[in-house]
Amino acid sequence: MSLYSYLLISIIIFTIGVYGIITQRSGIKILMCIELLLNSANLNLVAFSSYNGNATGQVFAIFSIAIAAAEAAIGFAILVALFRLKDTINLDNINILRW
Amino acid sequence: MFSEYAALIVLLPVIAFVLTLFLGKKLYSGGALLPIAAIAGSFITSVGVFLEIYPDGMVQQSLPWFAGMNVGILIDPLAVVMLMMVTFVSLLIHIYAVGYMAHDPARPRYFAETSLFTAAMLSVILSDNILQFFISWELVGLCSFLLIGFWYHKPSAAAAAKKAFLVTRVGDVLFLAGIVLLYVNMKSLVDSRALVLEPQSFILQFKTMFEAISLIDGTQLTYITLLFFGGAVGKSGQFPLHGWLPDAMEGPTTVSALIHAATMVTAGVYLVARTFPMFVATPSTISAGVPDSLLIVTYVGGFTAIFAATMGLVMNDIKRVLAYSTVSQLGYMMLALGTAGTVLGAKAVGISMFHLISHAFFKALLFLCAGSVIHAVGTNDIREMGGLFSKMKITGTTMFIAALALAGIGFPFAGLGLPIMNIGTAGFFSKDAIIEGAFEYGENMHDLIPYGFAVIAALLTSIYIFRLWFMAFTGKPRSERHPHESPGVMTRPLMILAVFALLFGFSQAGFYGYVEKNFELMDVNIAVHEGEALHPSAIITLLPVIVGVLGLLISYAIYHKRLIDMSKIVSSGNLLYKLLLNRYYEPKLSADIIGVKLTHDVVARSGEFIDRQIIDKLIIDNIISNTLLKLGGIVRKLQTGVVQNYASITILGVALLLVLLRLKSGGT
Repeated sequence: MSLYSYLLISIIIFTIGVYGIITQRSGIKILMCIELLLNSANLNLVAFSSYNGNATGQVFAIFSIAIAAAEAAIGFAILVALFRLKDTINLDNINILRW
Repeated sequence: MFSEYAALIVLLPVIAFVLTLFLGKKLYSGGALLPIAAIAGSFITSVGVFLEIYPDGMVQQSLPWFAGMNVGILIDPLAVVMLMMVTFVSLLIHIYAVGYMAHDPARPRYFAETSLFTAAMLSVILSDNILQFFISWELVGLCSFLLIGFWYHKPSAAAAAKKAFLVTRVGDVLFLAGIVLLYVNMKSLVDSRALVLEPQSFILQFKTMFEAISLIDGTQLTYITLLFFGGAVGKSGQFPLHGWLPDAMEGPTTVSALIHAATMVTAGVYLVARTFPMFVATPSTISAGVPDSLLIVTYVGGFTAIFAATMGLVMNDIKRVLAYSTVSQLGYMMLALGTAGTVLGAKAVGISMFHLISHAFFKALLFLCAGSVIHAVGTNDIREMGGLFSKMKITGTTMFIAALALAGIGFPFAGLGLPIMNIGTAGFFSKDAIIEGAFEYGENMHDLIPYGFAVIAALLTSIYIFRLWFMAFTGKPRSERHPHESPGVMTRPLMILAVFALLFGFSQAGFYGYVEKNFELMDVNIAVHEGEALHPSAIITLLPVIVGVLGLLISYAIYHKRLIDMSKIVSSGNLLYKLLLNRYYEPKLSADIIGVKLTHDVVARSGEFIDRQIIDKLIIDNIISNTLLKLGGIVRKLQTGVVQNYASITILGVALLLVLLRLKSGGT
């Protein structure tokens, strides 16, 4: 497979993620979409790394995955706390920080 | 050797000010020793400088500052006599204050402020240019404000401080206007090359000013000097800006002695003496032969002398009597500059300065004695005193000496042609010279009004000061108090000052000879409308002493022997008494009419109307504020609080940026 196929897949995943973030209302779904964004970036990193014959990008991707895990943990923790407080994780109902 | 370090005269008290302010609490007696040591150092330096420059030297040091201005030191005879007097009196008063302020918890602040005051006052005296003079002048005004309001928790003290600050501000604004006018004139002279500045000489230096006198237009010179005199009127409490000085007695008595008797209030006289050649050079348009500015100085001074003395007659607060006396004596000094300046030229500076310095001694002494009395009996009201002499012998004696000096008691043997020298108190020598100068002016200029002012004021002076003494120290105690003599730290300065009040007069001839040369040393010629030398008759020579003794006898008869029952005269039915007791309604006038009616009701109210109704309501509320509010109302809707909206906008923005970047780089 050429580099372009990888990049194409990456773009598709990224677009799905962005679409999800904009349209979805559930906090969990949005977190999942963010994971999609991160992973599309990881895919890019690995693809370029393989294409250039340089391992740096792959190492970077591993770091990125680790950080994504931590980020997801924090994100879910916030959602749990929010659920306890408001009995919902629908972000449409959580909009007190406004005009 | 001392001359090179002349700057220390000012710097030592400044250092003492900083140290006392921050460390005073931890030191003995609120840090009093620091200012005392510093001022003693200044005193020693001043005397050292005097010994070095006597009889015809000067100290001049200056550094460039900005825009053709400089900071510098000029110690000429005029300055050096003032320096010695101020450091000496300030030193004694600081020592006295250790005892007087012993029970005050805020002593570090007191000593820091008096130390700063002394530094500022010395800087006024030392200045070699009018700008530095003005800056120091403002600084003494500030210290005066702080010290009058020293007991700021007392509403009357806070009000008095405010009044002093505001009233002297009127004079200070005039003074500043005079400096600006002078600068404009000097600048145009320099620009047109009419006046060439030598290297190391600066535009507002006194010596440059004196060089330019003949070049400045006469009318302009009159305006400049009169504006300067306006500053002097404010600072020296001359009519009509005299009202603040009696009110300033709300401060501690030591402050009254230091600032409002001996030093700061004389700064006005010093200013006129400093710029005296300019006053003499003003054209005479009002009265032939009399320079306009000097004529005004004469009449303001003479009128103040008599005007303040009348109020001194009826005051019951021991310090107020002395305050009016100070105003009156400052009037004498101005009168001397005006009258003697017209007929005797530079001698006037000697006569006026001699009275200034002898007045500083005996008036500081009077105030310190008053402080000692107040310390002992705990009241300012002389009606509640009486019979103090048996309890307070030192205070009583020294105060009597000071009263004799103020009344100008002495024996003019030589003046009558007898082969014995004149013998008398300091005030006898200094005040008689002023009255004789006024007489000479009167004879030569056919205008005896100033002389009349001077003689009548001398009589009133003698009456009010002995009234004070007899009421406080003789008779029966009129209240249940247990007075005691003050501690040694307070009585010893009294004794030292009493010696000066008694003996300083004998330095008259030497003093005149030295100070008169002041302007010659600066190469300034004072044109004098020289009248014929007069040999005043015996009655003229004797008159000042006669009125002095007469005043003493009148007070003795009324207040000691009680030959006349004053209670009939001193009643609310007597219109004259009411007028005097209410101080010619000056406080009412300045507070109610100028303060409330004019400033508050007219100026402040119209300002408030313009600010609130026009600027706030019309312009700000209707135009600026409403537009902004409406715009804000629209824009704020963007902040929906929905996370997705923010994310969408962010993504849109990034996408736009990418597109722009792509377009910019030309698209490949």
